[in-house]
Amino acid sequence: MKTLGAVQYLWALSVAAQVAVCVILVTRGYYRPLTVFTAYAFLNLCQAAFLYLIYKHYGFHSDAAFTYAWWSQAFTLVARVLATTEVLRLVLIPYRGIWGLAWRVLGVTSGVTLVFVIAASRGNLDWGLMEADRGYHLIFAIAIVACLALIRYYYVPVDRTYKAILAGFCFYSCVTILSNTALQGVLYKRYENFATIWQVVELIAYLIVQFIWMRALARPLPAKHAQRPVLPASVYQRISPEIHYQLQAMNKQLMHFWKLEEPGS
Amino acid sequence: MSNSLLAFGIIGILLLLTLVWLSVSKVGGKVQARAASDLPPGRDWQHISYLPQIQQALAETDFKYLSDVAPRRLVSEVRKDRQHIAIAYLSALREEFIRLLDFARIVAAMSPEVAVAQELRGARLHFTFTCRYYLIYLRLKTGFAPFDALSALSNSLSSLNIRMETAMREVGERAAMSGLASSFDGGGLDTH
Repeated sequence: MKTLGAVQYLWALSVAAQVAVCVILVTRGYYRPLTVFTAYAFLNLCQAAFLYLIYKHYGFHSDAAFTYAWWSQAFTLVARVLATTEVLRLVLIPYRGIWGLAWRVLGVTSGVTLVFVIAASRGNLDWGLMEADRGYHLIFAIAIVACLALIRYYYVPVDRTYKAILAGFCFYSCVTILSNTALQGVLYKRYENFATIWQVVELIAYLIVQFIWMRALARPLPAKHAQRPVLPASVYQRISPEIHYQLQAMNKQLMHFWKLEEPGS
Repeated sequence: MSNSLLAFGIIGILLLLTLVWLSVSKVGGKVQARAASDLPPGRDWQHISYLPQIQQALAETDFKYLSDVAPRRLVSEVRKDRQHIAIAYLSALREEFIRLLDFARIVAAMSPEVAVAQELRGARLHFTFTCRYYLIYLRLKTGFAPFDALSALSNSLSSLNIRMETAMREVGERAAMSGLASSFDGGGLDTH
């Protein structure tokens, strides 16, 4: 009973934090640049209200409540992808070449991860829903980490607010991957109240994300990016192979040096 | 726990650690300043400028002669000095490589289109160069490396200055006109 009370308390706290995020987004006018993200935040609130009514009507442990809860989750998962894409677009749109590259990186990483997820989860029908949820979060987290790495590699400046939004999404997905895995591997076998423990972990992670977003949104958003200088495509096509040729030559020299030093060579 | 669960757990932890690293670590101001300083034309290839002196300092014949005529203590001191020179030279080469790579990244960031294969090649080169650099560095540090081989490293670099100069000038002029250097001053994930 104590743990169920903790879940309810955390849930109420989480709803309060979501309301705070929505209020900040509206009162500060951030819904204009972050339209999809704002829609996502409101959708989360609507989901919370919907779940409250469902649990009240059908009961917390009923099959109907379970089905409705997961269906509502599907909508928010789609909205999360769209909100993330919006933030990435805001960061990368002044860098058209890198934005194009990011899309391709996203496509490849998502495709490869999907294949891995399907292969790893095959034949595990009992945990189908959890596997699907974890698969989604794995694809999502890898895609965000890949984009953040790409952004860092090309020294693209990222405003703290945008970075916090992306990091928040990614953090929650990482925690979900770990908690779903722990639920299947450890919690389910050893603890009777495994579902409650899993819910507490998820709610705490989500609460942390809400606080990260609140703190980030307390700052003013960056002014709209000025048009970045763009080189003609021919310059890249001409210079880039040349630079890479030189880099390769330096690398070969280093390799040559290494081979010269091999004992007995 | 099954293998797939273990794999998911490890991947989850690795992702979390990478996220923390990407969020917390700063893109060094030194790197950005270096990237920006690459833009003006007429950049200086320092290690090339000192190549004759480095080669002289590392000449094996000199060392052999010294081993024959000088006391052991002096030979040991000279060996240490040569080791320091070799390491400093290796670091300069790495610096050169990173500068060039930074320049390639700036060109890519300024371009409306980038070739995926080309960029992947650059990233792979960066990785292999860095690995080799640290291997050689460790061998030099532990005294397992013959110094005369080091001069071979710079053979291909002497032409680099001339071949890159034109390209640097073109990009540098454009950047100066549109104030790119200042736009990169605050670059990176953690600079705001």
